[in-house]
Amino acid sequence: MSAHGSIPVLRIGSTLLASIQVELRDTIADAFQEDILQTIAKTGAAGLVIDITGLEMVDSYVARVLANTGRMAALMGTETVIVGMRPVVAATLVRMGFRMEGVLTALNVDAGLKLVSELIARRHGAGR
Amino acid sequence: MSVPFSEKMIVASEDDVMLARRTVRLLAESLGFDPFTAAAITTATSELCRNVWVHAEKGTALVEQIGSNGRTGIRVELRDEGPGIAEIDRVLSGGQRHGGSLGLGLSGSRRLADEFRIETVVGRGTVVTVVKWKRPT
Amino acid sequence: MPLQHYMEKLHFDEAELQSRRDFFEITADDLSRLAGLKSFAEKHTDDIVEDLYRLILGHPEAKKQFTEHATLVRVKRAQRDYFLGLFSGRCDLAYAKERLRIGIAHERVGVPPKWYLGAYARYLRSIFDQLSVELPDPAQARVAYQSIEKLVAFDMALAMDSYIASQLGALERHQAAIRELSTPIIRLYQRVLLLPLIGTIDTHRADQLMEAVLLKVVEEQAHVIIIDIAGVPLVDTKVADHLLKTTEAVRLLGAQTILSGISPIIAKTIVTLGMNISAMHTRSRLADALELAFVIIGKRVTSLAKPLTVIPAEAAEET
Repeated sequence: MSAHGSIPVLRIGSTLLASIQVELRDTIADAFQEDILQTIAKTGAAGLVIDITGLEMVDSYVARVLANTGRMAALMGTETVIVGMRPVVAATLVRMGFRMEGVLTALNVDAGLKLVSELIARRHGAGR
Repeated sequence: MSVPFSEKMIVASEDDVMLARRTVRLLAESLGFDPFTAAAITTATSELCRNVWVHAEKGTALVEQIGSNGRTGIRVELRDEGPGIAEIDRVLSGGQRHGGSLGLGLSGSRRLADEFRIETVVGRGTVVTVVKWKRPT
Repeated sequence: MPLQHYMEKLHFDEAELQSRRDFFEITADDLSRLAGLKSFAEKHTDDIVEDLYRLILGHPEAKKQFTEHATLVRVKRAQRDYFLGLFSGRCDLAYAKERLRIGIAHERVGVPPKWYLGAYARYLRSIFDQLSVELPDPAQARVAYQSIEKLVAFDMALAMDSYIASQLGALERHQAAIRELSTPIIRLYQRVLLLPLIGTIDTHRADQLMEAVLLKVVEEQAHVIIIDIAGVPLVDTKVADHLLKTTEAVRLLGAQTILSGISPIIAKTIVTLGMNISAMHTRSRLADALELAFVIIGKRVTSLAKPLTVIPAEAAEET
């Protein structure tokens, strides 16, 4: 099952911007992860911004998929930032005791793109 | 006086989990739950339903409006005849480290709910009940 | 406060109604006896209400509650309806609701309990007098009086309940206002918020604080929030845990938290208890927290060549 169509992915320079607008079911989340990693492999994207402004509910499975996606993308050399988490979602995850480790966050798409650029620049500066 | 909401659903697929989630969310909204409290019970329901579907393959979810002494709340009971959960205490206390997704779902739901009860017998099945009360205004 | 809210506040449902009917010993016999006395009631209601008003108007302080003639006429009519309501033969949720409505009306006008309790007692005396005449058989009169007395007691309990419920309502509003005042999230600078915490933080307040903080961070699209705890008298593992949760939630939104106002005592407590708060920026002084906040948002405070040390003189003279 493909996530294409339900989760639009834009290319902004060498950064991918994925906007999740629909309520995520497990299989769509898994498909999204697969799609994004394939797209990174195909395009060699240096950055990935996942916009979850549209997500009203995120449970531990979806949260884990998102966090893992970020970590997997990082292994492939792509700087990842998750943006736009809603207050209700953040509060619920924290209250559940869920720890979203290894993932950077930013307030919104602009902030996310900026952060990604900085990280990419830093990486190049360090000569990786 | 209107009849309090009560609905029993089969939980045997991802669609069922989505439906259960939606049912709880809509109920919470119609009862005037604030968004944070509504999210807590909706998420707990999602976690527990997933546990049933993934680990027991089939079960039921009973979603009820409850109320006593002027308080309003939602109770969700998940019932299955799956493998049961061994070492339940360890699983409940461990969260993300122990018990994998099952443990996290259970301990997470317990933290999100106001009341949490679990009865489980290895080889026979599990019943998990969570309650969330509406915040007094 | 709307009537339904009162019912909820008082937890007044079928179970509660039954419990009260049992305790006040109101039986079906009582209710049918009261319904049977309806014509008696209609015959004497004007006299009985007049008795009450003679009492009120003859008492200087009570009289002050009813200064306008227009009010007097309206209230007398309400009293008449109230009195006749006793003989409806019902004591169900609908009856209770009606009685509560009366209590609410009194409370709204600001009539304290002493007046209506005194009035109920006056009613009972007048009813007793009239009943003794209407039913010459003392046994019959006594039984009828007792039925009336039971229902009046039931009504008095409701009147007290609605009075107390409204007082509690006012109390809750005050408490909410105090919470608001003690939890102001201030926009210190563009993208920088400040939450000066004052007073004890219990779980309930901590939950509210986290929610308020998260909503404000998103609303303002703030990059940093400074939480100053200099005004929190006790910081133990529970409080530290709340602050850590809030910090993590703020991080998930994409912003940072700086905890300021860390006193030597708090620093000692945190380290001695082995708490790990490495996830937070911390500072002792608010001013230092502010400097760090500026760094986070990429700003710097610099010195001007010519500071504004001279305050402009007032143009107008004071009279």
